[in-house]
Amino acid sequence: MTAIAESHVADRGVLRRLAVDHARVRRRKRRLAELSRHLVLGLVTFILVAPFYYVVLASLKDSNAIFSYPPKLIPWPPYWENYRHVLTETNFLRWMFNTMFVATTVTVLKVFLDSMAGYALAKIDFTGKRAVFMLMLILLMVPGGALIVPLWSLVFSLGLINTYFALMLPPLANPLGAILMRQFILGLPNDLEHAARLDGLNDFQIYWRIILPLIKPGLVVLAVIIFTDQFISFIWPLIATTSDDLIVLTVGVASLRAHGGVDYGLWSASAVMSLVPIAILFFILQRQFLARSLAGALKQ
Amino acid sequence: MTDRLQDTSGDSGHAIELVEVTKHYGTMEALKGVDLAIGYGEFIALLGPSGCGKSTLLKLIAGLEDLSDGEIYVGGKLANYLKPSARNVAMVFQNYALYPHMTVRENIGFPLKMGGVPRQEVDSRVEDAAGLLQLSAQLDRFPDELSGGQRQRVALGRAIVREPLAFLMDEPLSNLDALLRVEMRTELLRLHKRVGRTTIYVTHDQIEAMTMADRIVLMHHGEIQQVGSPSEIYVTPANTFVARFVGSPPMNLIEGRIESAASGAVFVGPLQLPADKAAACGLGEGPATLGIRPEHLEIVDASHPEAVPAKVDLVERVGADSNVFLIVGGQSALIASVDAATPIHEGDEIHLHLRPEHVQFFDAKGDRVDHGGASR
Repeated sequence: MTAIAESHVADRGVLRRLAVDHARVRRRKRRLAELSRHLVLGLVTFILVAPFYYVVLASLKDSNAIFSYPPKLIPWPPYWENYRHVLTETNFLRWMFNTMFVATTVTVLKVFLDSMAGYALAKIDFTGKRAVFMLMLILLMVPGGALIVPLWSLVFSLGLINTYFALMLPPLANPLGAILMRQFILGLPNDLEHAARLDGLNDFQIYWRIILPLIKPGLVVLAVIIFTDQFISFIWPLIATTSDDLIVLTVGVASLRAHGGVDYGLWSASAVMSLVPIAILFFILQRQFLARSLAGALKQ
Repeated sequence: MTDRLQDTSGDSGHAIELVEVTKHYGTMEALKGVDLAIGYGEFIALLGPSGCGKSTLLKLIAGLEDLSDGEIYVGGKLANYLKPSARNVAMVFQNYALYPHMTVRENIGFPLKMGGVPRQEVDSRVEDAAGLLQLSAQLDRFPDELSGGQRQRVALGRAIVREPLAFLMDEPLSNLDALLRVEMRTELLRLHKRVGRTTIYVTHDQIEAMTMADRIVLMHHGEIQQVGSPSEIYVTPANTFVARFVGSPPMNLIEGRIESAASGAVFVGPLQLPADKAAACGLGEGPATLGIRPEHLEIVDASHPEAVPAKVDLVERVGADSNVFLIVGGQSALIASVDAATPIHEGDEIHLHLRPEHVQFFDAKGDRVDHGGASR
């Protein structure tokens, strides 16, 4: 082998070593990037899940064990007494019924009314349309707290305090849903409505047969927003009802403190049970909610 | 199906008649007193540039917009206050306007269902329309599963199935690609011949209007500029706007003056030409515009008694013909359409002859002076 050939072989060896080293460095970098990504994701997950886990944990301990040190991350055997107490010693099931009844009724009515109002604002010409829309926008800018006293006076003068109407009527007047629906319906081509008119449909039939099926994605999003909003609503139900029969979950759970001092175990158990219906709703609508909300976003 | 779609009105009047139709949007006047009478079975093209009011006119006829003033008669009945569905017209929209949540069958049958037609009859009429439009295999598909041409056919089916007095078509082919547009143009014409219903077809494409319509209504700034057969519109344009809008390349328009000379009236401009015929029709001395179609400019020898010298500025080859852009009198750019085989090049000095029987004159306002000179 000549000297030149030998040096070539040596060069090739060096190159191969360099390539191997380079690949190793790349692999290490990739692993590091993956690790940091997982760390960030883990941290975010921890921030989101930890409070919920803490509440579930507290609901399965008696009130002394909740603050014991070191804390038990898996309480074994679980302490079910909190759940039994909430279900049997309080009006929890009545609160749950009230909440579900009010939230469902408001959601159904509001989705219907908001989509109708949205259709009128988007597609029908009427005198004062712009003024009505501006008023609705202005109403959105008024803080909810500022409306509570006049709203209570109004509901009181109508003799509706301590009725289901007191819980259901005020949320129906929130203009946000109608504004959302207006934006959604504005995106539909006018020619569809023209074609429907030529096909002999009146305004309500156009809304019912043409517009509603086409805005299903928007309706699902709106329904979830309204239902959740009603489910967690606290201030208005607190002041609009005093009768035990009309108390909703949020007010009822808060009242546990007033009745028996601070029992974090009881509180936690009622909080966990309160989440059940809304969790079921999300599981049912999850696929549709995600897919539809994304489709809606892309269409816009 | 075809028999059922034949016009049975027996009315000797007009299918659609517009009297002084006016439409304002605030201070903007979209239509300025339009008068038009459309016969039964006629294919009318509303032609004009964007914003000329042609689509507005169609929507007024359909009842989708309210009139500001005037009268609309459909089938001899005053339709001003009739609901769109009561006017006995069907419309085909530019973007098809199919209901996305319904199948083809449901889309086509929907107007009948809404009209309370018994289910069996709806089914049979839908099948008939689908057969006519070659949509039978697609009846259970949704609109988003169809091609552009098929969607357009469904939109047509929805119109046909109602068996209306008139079809109103708002640029129905403009969303299709060039090849499909030509194909659908032929299909539409065939369909019109089979169905035989009055059709008002809005377009800004002069080729569509020229090839399809019995009569063209040319509109500009909310006013009708001219109503006539495609040939009339092309050969004897009513004014300089029509002359420029119809024809590709458009008519050559040369501005100048009519002056008196010892030999009689003469057009004086970048070129000089006898204008006795124009003078005989009352076009006196003063500003005037001379018009001549590109195909009526002949290239001749310098020895020709009426030869006009010109310089070739540009030659645009468009297949069988060439468009030759010429400079005449040092300023005016004319276009001559000549056979592609003609040996002509940029920079050539040539001589033109304006065939006098095709020369037209327009007065100072741009209106054509009818001297009966223009012929094809």
